[in-house]
Amino acid sequence: MLVADVLGWFGAVGDAAMGNAPGFAARKASLAVALAQTANLPEAEWHAIYYAGLLHAIGAIGNTAYRKGEQLTERIARMESWDAPAQGAQICETIGCLPAETADMVRWQHEAWDGTGFPDQLRWTGIPRPAQFLALADTFLAANDPEVALGQIGLASGRAFNPETVRTFTMWFHRAGGEVDPIEMPVDGLLDAPPDAQTLLERFADRIDAHNLVPGRWRRIAQIAGATATALQLSADEARQLALACRVFGAGEIDEKAVEDEDFDPLARLGVEHRARNARAAAALAHPYERLQGAAEVVAARGEWFDGTGKPKGLARKKIPIVSSILAAAIAHDRLDRGERIDTAAGTQFDPAVVRAVMEAAKLRA
Amino acid sequence: MIELPERTRRISPTRLLEILQAHDCKSLVDPFMGLPTHLNYLKRHGIAVHGGDLLEWFVRVGEGLIVNDLTYLRDAEVAEIVEMLPGHIYSLDLFKAWEGVFFSEEQCVYLGVWHDNVRNLRSDQQTGLAILGLWRAFCYWMQKTQSPDDMQDTPPSELAWTYIRQTEQWVVSNMRRNTVRQGDVLATIGARTADALFLAPPPRNSFRSADARIWMWEAWWQGNPYFTIEHAYRDSLLGARAADGPSYARALASILASADGYPVIVMQTTEQRIGELEPLLRNARSNVKIIAPHSYEMYLVATR
Repeated sequence: MLVADVLGWFGAVGDAAMGNAPGFAARKASLAVALAQTANLPEAEWHAIYYAGLLHAIGAIGNTAYRKGEQLTERIARMESWDAPAQGAQICETIGCLPAETADMVRWQHEAWDGTGFPDQLRWTGIPRPAQFLALADTFLAANDPEVALGQIGLASGRAFNPETVRTFTMWFHRAGGEVDPIEMPVDGLLDAPPDAQTLLERFADRIDAHNLVPGRWRRIAQIAGATATALQLSADEARQLALACRVFGAGEIDEKAVEDEDFDPLARLGVEHRARNARAAAALAHPYERLQGAAEVVAARGEWFDGTGKPKGLARKKIPIVSSILAAAIAHDRLDRGERIDTAAGTQFDPAVVRAVMEAAKLRA
Repeated sequence: MIELPERTRRISPTRLLEILQAHDCKSLVDPFMGLPTHLNYLKRHGIAVHGGDLLEWFVRVGEGLIVNDLTYLRDAEVAEIVEMLPGHIYSLDLFKAWEGVFFSEEQCVYLGVWHDNVRNLRSDQQTGLAILGLWRAFCYWMQKTQSPDDMQDTPPSELAWTYIRQTEQWVVSNMRRNTVRQGDVLATIGARTADALFLAPPPRNSFRSADARIWMWEAWWQGNPYFTIEHAYRDSLLGARAADGPSYARALASILASADGYPVIVMQTTEQRIGELEPLLRNARSNVKIIAPHSYEMYLVATR
């Protein structure tokens, strides 16, 4: 597994947590780099700018303003959201492979030239130029119409943005016609430093669970699923995909108000749509990344029922990938008040063989 | 045209908070606070903050951002600040000396009107917020002198309105007592005790090259366009008496000696000045750790 895939995936999860459209982070990264190129910033800074754009929203994961279950007033939520860039920067500081400047670009991407930004209320030339490019990219991409965005940015010259930076933006806009050309992730810009991709993915999965207010969930599920896979003699590749799926499925619930099984009993038919939607969302986040595509397919089918009445495809029995069945049963088992209740869903929701193996695995764990 | 200097140092309150949390500090004194937006950030995160400065307008803004827990300016109150009020006699010529040099005639009239209106506010907290909002409008004008074609012409009252209304968002309570005072560094350090002392000492003779956006706003608040910052710093510890290197070092050493009661001292500096400040701090404290994210943003964290 490549670190770049994990970073791209986590950046996309950050966007989902913040409510941005899919692909926003990658577009923001590309535009910020294009602006840096227009301004003739040293090439050495481009990689850091790209990764800062890609990871711009990761601070929202776990931030009180975006986290599940928080009942905040609009004013308090806004204040809490001001901490997201600094929290994102703190995460970036723990990722050794990122260029050193990345963290502070994430930290200061919402600072305003006139000092009215957040979190640090830096002003004027105290704000690094790359951070201003990220802010410009954010404003431009958040607008529906490029011409409208150009107007907004012009009005914000001397307020949110350094007038010189706005000039750079205008130059880019007229050269590129307002079209953002996607830039390939600069994998060679990543340093060879710990943590490895596996550890990174696990840390991110922990953060997602904390955001979803289910701390430690993926670890419990991975333990049960792993033991079940061994009992059912799955191939090494299937076991690997299952392990990855355990780490990425929680991202599908990141922008939901509640964890899926808070609204519906994990064995209730009423929750079929809900589970399938979350499965689709998690799969969509992971699918663009080559090393996570297998896991995305596993997650996508976790809403299927053994009797063919599940979602999204209505697959039945052996047509449901065994790894997806295991993942679905392990998730349900984790949520049940009494784990043995899963037995009542054998033959309808879950493959009876999988249910037996999950129950055995749970007994061994106990 | 007036020159707006590049900023040569940076205080990041998010980083400062990380340092304070790492040392379990719940309160902080900053005797060189300047514009106290960083203290406002720390306050919002539960730290009891106490600031001090020699310039009165910084202290007034501190009344709005630091001492103030719940007062803000409503629309009608902002309207009474940004425009000329009927039946009120204004000293429209108060800032005429700046006309044609820095600002247009209209801008100078507005500076006079705003000065009178803000002086008539009854609440210290509202006064502080208004000063901050109007300062941002003033800075916009200063910036526009540098980039006249790149920035929009906004009517003065509209510009001021936007910036004053914006100040509401920084009003917050941390359920602690937070204070500001106008005074020299030693008086501020002696007036309060806290878990940490934050020092961002101005470089030697720096008042001679102070940013116009800072000293001109003190002149505005004093209602005296001929005000010079040397006047404010004349009798201060780091003022004229510390003009040469050895006296400046002695003055800093006396600050550190008076800070004995503070468990943690955080000193903000730059790569250029670290050689000058680090030995002084090491003389005062046995443990000094350097946190250096950038060449113009370094922190010396000293503990016993």
